[in-house]
Amino acid sequence: MALLELSGVTKRFGGLTAVNNVSFNVEAGEIFGLIGPNGAGKSTLLNCLAGLTKPNAGTIRFDGHDTTGMSADKMCRLGLGRTFQIPRPFPRMTAFENVVVSAAFGDPHLSRSGVSDRALEMIEYVEFPRPVGTLANHLNVVQLKRLDLARALASKPKLLLLDEFAAGLTPSELTDIAKLLRRIRDDGTTILMVEHVMRLILDLCGNLSVLQYGELIAHGNATTVAQDPRVREAYLGHNYIL
Amino acid sequence: MATVTAMPARSRKQVVGRSRRTLAAAVALILFAIVLPFIPPFTGQDYQRYLVGAAYTAALAVAFDFTAGYIDIVNFGFAAFVGIGAYTSALLAVDLGLPPGLGLIAGAGAAGLVGLATGMLTLRLRGIYAAVMAWFVGLALMGLVRNLTDITRGSMGLNVPRLLGTDDNLPYYYVMLALLLVTIAVLTYVIRSNVGLAFRAIGQNLQAARASGINPTRFLVLNFTLSCAFAGLMGGFYAHYYTILTPDLMSTTRTIEVLAVAYIGGRGSLWGPAIIAFPLYIGTELLRTQLASLPGLHLVLYGLLLIVVMVYWPGGVAGVVRKTALWWERRSEKAADATTSSAS
Repeated sequence: MALLELSGVTKRFGGLTAVNNVSFNVEAGEIFGLIGPNGAGKSTLLNCLAGLTKPNAGTIRFDGHDTTGMSADKMCRLGLGRTFQIPRPFPRMTAFENVVVSAAFGDPHLSRSGVSDRALEMIEYVEFPRPVGTLANHLNVVQLKRLDLARALASKPKLLLLDEFAAGLTPSELTDIAKLLRRIRDDGTTILMVEHVMRLILDLCGNLSVLQYGELIAHGNATTVAQDPRVREAYLGHNYIL
Repeated sequence: MATVTAMPARSRKQVVGRSRRTLAAAVALILFAIVLPFIPPFTGQDYQRYLVGAAYTAALAVAFDFTAGYIDIVNFGFAAFVGIGAYTSALLAVDLGLPPGLGLIAGAGAAGLVGLATGMLTLRLRGIYAAVMAWFVGLALMGLVRNLTDITRGSMGLNVPRLLGTDDNLPYYYVMLALLLVTIAVLTYVIRSNVGLAFRAIGQNLQAARASGINPTRFLVLNFTLSCAFAGLMGGFYAHYYTILTPDLMSTTRTIEVLAVAYIGGRGSLWGPAIIAFPLYIGTELLRTQLASLPGLHLVLYGLLLIVVMVYWPGGVAGVVRKTALWWERRSEKAADATTSSAS
């Protein structure tokens, strides 16, 4: 049984079908990529998975539960962590407190005394470069991304959703992030990443799904999918050379 | 409620020093508030009446800040909840002969219950809608009090027995000061617990709070209910101190007065509004007596002050104090570093 199973997921906004009849599975232990041009419906699909919006049709099963239309806080407590495309911390809290929130409320199995240890452990795990007492609104975007990752990991998720985590990073930061994400996977957290940076996708992902105009146009092994002429046409461009 | 006590080791020393200083400042301020009625010109009955009003306004502003400053929802119907407490306590005393002391608690309970119902009704909506709904609920309640003249005597005013068997303002001041300190203590305790952490998370970023496992509605309703209950408690005091109640107590103007004090004092600090209420309230009362020909002038001044504060010091007085303290800490750290490096 796959960790995450989507079947026929559809989301409409008025007359616009943002996500149309999408089905795929994410197996436990893999790094799964979801790509597609801007406006393809990736973020909408992610929001359906994370409980921010309800799909109009289809079912989502996560870790053996039917989670279709379940609220975001319940999804988190069930073991789904997510980062945001534009990192969204709690601005008037310290970095430490930001992570404590998710440890305290996101993991029902964690004892009260374990909360701050977990938070510190996660801050260290993501190699957060500033003192933990720094206020979140004093951090730059790259630091915020690491903080958001620590926050998402502090609830010990089974599945981590990353929404364009690599956007805006320099090549050397990309190398660091790739190392970190691989380590997270090796430590037992499955990853579903929405990403534009092909280098990272091909480097990390076993399987890949491609969305265009809300529909799944290709799915399968990452290297094979990236070679698919339809995908190259839709997304990578005619002359994209891998 | 478990408090988040554990702190990373390297900043623990700093935090201990900071909390000692905070405690010292708090004790000094409380002592000052206690001896204030013995310092001229506060020895006179007129000024002592201002002190009672100031402490009352301070407590309201703290309860208001508990909602506006932490879960980021402005309760425009706040004054109506004060009124519920006031009328509940007053009517229980007038019609059933209940001692005012018990009436205060009953008033807090009644305001809390109506707050709970209002919260469950409105807080599923987002910020501004919840604020507007609370406002309408407040207006409806005021209309009810105004029109149920058989019970409340409406605009004719309801005469209420005094809380204490004296007309001297000094004992009332100490009762009100005690209520203020209890309000600050209880609400600060809640804010420092995990529940308070959830409040702050919800107020600062609702989506991230939900993605971190927080169910917002429960916490929002809890916060709103507590704030309303304290508003009701103060309402009871108001009734048995001023001894006459009219529906005007519940008007939006009264809410705005509290809002101004809370915002100028500094959102999300609890102590900022409590401190600034004293100079603000006493200052406006003095202005009002000096310029009796210009009623409502204090609201204009509140408005201007509010604009200036929002533009230049969005964190209010509390924000300025915090920044200064931080600057001072850094400066003394640097000085300490300089002496150790020159010594070695």
